[in-house]
Amino acid sequence: MSISINVSDDNKTATMKINGRFDFSLHNDFRKAYKDVSLSGGEYAVDLSATDYLDSSALGMLLLLKEHAESQGCSVKLTGFSDEIKEILTIASFDKIFALA
Amino acid sequence: MSRSSADNKVVLVVDDDSTNRMVLCALLKESGYLSLIAENGEEAVNIVDENHVDIILLDVMMPIMDGYQAAKIIKSRQINFIPIIFLTAMTDETALAKCIDSGGDDFLTKPFNHTLLNAKIDSMLRIAGLYKNIADQNIEIMEKNILVEQEMVVTKKLFEKIIHNDLRGDKTGLHYSMSPMSMFNGDLILAEKNQTSGFDVLIADFTGHGLSAAIGALPVSDVFHSMTQKCFSFTDMLAEANSKLIELLPTHMFMASGLISLDRSNNVLSVINAGLPAMYLYRDGQIVHTFKSKNIPLGISKLSSSQFEVEMQTLEYGDRLFAATDGIMEANNPHGEMFGLDRLLSIFEDNQHSETLFNDILSSCSEFCEGAEQTDDITLLEVCHLENIEYMSDKELVNEQRLASDWAIQFSLDIKSLRQFDVLPYIMQAVNQLQPLESGRTSVHTVLTEMFANALDHGVLKLDSSMKDTPQGYMDFYQEKQKRLESMDEGHIQISLRHELDGESGGRLSLHLMDSGDGYDYKNVDVDKNQYSGRGLKLVSSLCTQIKVLGKGNSVMAYYDWSNKD
Repeated sequence: MSISINVSDDNKTATMKINGRFDFSLHNDFRKAYKDVSLSGGEYAVDLSATDYLDSSALGMLLLLKEHAESQGCSVKLTGFSDEIKEILTIASFDKIFALA
Repeated sequence: MSRSSADNKVVLVVDDDSTNRMVLCALLKESGYLSLIAENGEEAVNIVDENHVDIILLDVMMPIMDGYQAAKIIKSRQINFIPIIFLTAMTDETALAKCIDSGGDDFLTKPFNHTLLNAKIDSMLRIAGLYKNIADQNIEIMEKNILVEQEMVVTKKLFEKIIHNDLRGDKTGLHYSMSPMSMFNGDLILAEKNQTSGFDVLIADFTGHGLSAAIGALPVSDVFHSMTQKCFSFTDMLAEANSKLIELLPTHMFMASGLISLDRSNNVLSVINAGLPAMYLYRDGQIVHTFKSKNIPLGISKLSSSQFEVEMQTLEYGDRLFAATDGIMEANNPHGEMFGLDRLLSIFEDNQHSETLFNDILSSCSEFCEGAEQTDDITLLEVCHLENIEYMSDKELVNEQRLASDWAIQFSLDIKSLRQFDVLPYIMQAVNQLQPLESGRTSVHTVLTEMFANALDHGVLKLDSSMKDTPQGYMDFYQEKQKRLESMDEGHIQISLRHELDGESGGRLSLHLMDSGDGYDYKNVDVDKNQYSGRGLKLVSSLCTQIKVLGKGNSVMAYYDWSNKD
């Protein structure tokens, strides 16, 4: 599975890791991964360190995750991205709507 | 013993021996099947033609038409799968193979064993059920395909409507290329003249395809054309388009977009890049400015018009701006490589003749792809700043004939109204309603806009126009304007418009603007109209028959004469 999700013991952090290409083919898996997660405050972290490509439909999926997180009063943080992926995120000005670390 | 799998299933028993038929029918009845009977192959074929039959038990040797022949005919005519089980006393392999060959699906040797008969019928009916599912799904897929094709046609029609206003050409300096399927991939280019006789262009790339992208393209095109025509600022227009898209699009969909506004009265290019790859301004053989994306794509979060980050550059004639959606950079060749930024930039570097640059980029990209099928489509746009620009006839802009008349209107705007909203579009709308200026609509917009800007900037806000002499100053000027507009607590502008008929098909529109500013010592400025303060009034005087500065220099009168000779 190219997507994994880990929820911390205190139920405050959910970390999703995406391996390989992050594109439309992950649409269902990505949504399935977080859909039943309900955090008590805190943050969703998307670990992109093993992601080698990200396209505009992935940006759309991140927006869906953001909507899910915000409905629980949580935020979304993107981490571990390469320079190429950072460029894509910056072009879409996602640095303005997500925390990048 | 009746079983539910047998409910209402119809078994056709074909045998010339009446005892065999009776035995079989009795067994089938006991198991809960309904049965039909035929005495030979020909009767069987006729019954299948006229009745619903789920499965056939078929004897081999019969008078008139034997089982082999009947099986062949039934199998060749059937639309749905009807299993045939041959009933035979023969046990030699060749005869059994012939049963299968002629279209039989299984065979049963006489004498019949009740349990085996039930088992064979059950298993055949199960297979028939699977066939039916597949057949139903195929029909469904076929129907869906037809629907998709119809949607494509609708989408294409919608897009053709959207892109009706085509300003492309060597005479306008606007060129763009969209590969044929790109509209289905959600790329969009819209262009509309603005009040400086330049034009505004929107280049956009929707996430999503086909109809779903068209759903967003329709309101965007509506907002773009109507608000640009009514002279709303492009930031107001984008804010409106943005809020429409937020309303309409599902969360994961958005529109990466670039707005390019060519201001020909000040020779300034304004760019808002919201999620598109960098745009390049090319001058004298090199890239002189890169407009990177500094805004969130449209359709994601609410933005007021002042939240858009606008980049401005002063232009020289012959300057070219290049913009593209991500299709070019992500174009793939058969070896799985992407065209990429470096290749694109090297085309700019190697270029010898700026006129060919646009086509060079397209042909390099298509050479690179070596005919590989593209996942995204290729949309490229070029805006060239020409010294002389010429549009096709304005006739299409003329509404139904309205009779000209004499009229006058006056507006007084205090500082609060000046601060709160852009009043000009509303005034221009009123003028358009009142007066059918055939060819002069754009010119009157320009005259009024420039006079108004002059009264506001230099009169009410007391800004110095010499600030605008350098590119940096131009931007500082607009920042300072915004600051003063917000902090100023008094000031007003009075606009008076009067129209008088002149004969049957002409008239004079007088525009009088007076502001609360200090005016200026216009008597000591050279009366040569090229020396009027600022570029704005110079433009006004070139469009009008006459322009007069009155009072202490805070009052300007312009006369615009029009006529329809044709």
